[in-house]
Amino acid sequence: MSKLDNKKFMVCCANGAGSSLMMKMTLQKVLTKLNVKPASLHHCSLSEGKSAAPNYDVVLCARNFANMFADAQKKGTTVLGLKNIMSAPEMEQAMKDAGLLD
Amino acid sequence: MAETILQKIVERGHYKFVDRVDSWQEGVKLSCESLARTGYVSENYYQQIVDCIEKYGPYVVFDHYVAMPHSQEGAEGAEKTAVGFMRVKEDVDFGKDEDGEQKIARLFFTLAAKDPNEHLDNMQQLMAIFTNEPLLDALMAANTPEDILKAEADYPPEEDF
Repeated sequence: MSKLDNKKFMVCCANGAGSSLMMKMTLQKVLTKLNVKPASLHHCSLSEGKSAAPNYDVVLCARNFANMFADAQKKGTTVLGLKNIMSAPEMEQAMKDAGLLD
Repeated sequence: MAETILQKIVERGHYKFVDRVDSWQEGVKLSCESLARTGYVSENYYQQIVDCIEKYGPYVVFDHYVAMPHSQEGAEGAEKTAVGFMRVKEDVDFGKDEDGEQKIARLFFTLAAKDPNEHLDNMQQLMAIFTNEPLLDALMAANTPEDILKAEADYPPEEDF
């Protein structure tokens, strides 16, 4: 069992069609490697994501957008801002740093 | 085997090779040209992309000189789903990101997204290209559509996303 099992993930980018999809693929790769079974993976635009974020356990986005989720963070959502959205090692490290891994 | 995205780019004439551009805005506009000419996007589609980058910063520029200009899924002006390729010989400067890092591109993969499934397939293929540095190097050295196909044959994107 992983701490991340059954968690709800959301991936956001400016318009929900380009980089968020790529980040979702990176996330799938990382979760598969860690043998995590998430409850759901959702990708969307920032405008949708901003209000929906508190309903998710983990929000991933490009680093420049991370401060837009400050409210959700206060409510307990873990927000991971990543520099390279295609880097699985960076994503895994960010999860580790946030205390999400065992 | 189904056509790869690079084969589609060549077959549809969705490519452009230029030496230099005056600004990243011009780069985005030129990268949309082949898509507009073939009716995949509207003439002014590029403006939405420019507006988006001006609003949110150069987040569409990734590592290894790759830019992926795009607007929203189902955006106005995106008539069909495709990827437009452009190679610029000289660096195109998109400015600094939030960490003060200069964002530079020479390869443009410009997205038009109308059909979600086809778009997802394109994105999976692009992801495999963007993480294949030898292929990106070969594409940066490309001058003809034949060079694009040769680059892909020499450095096939292996990783399956």
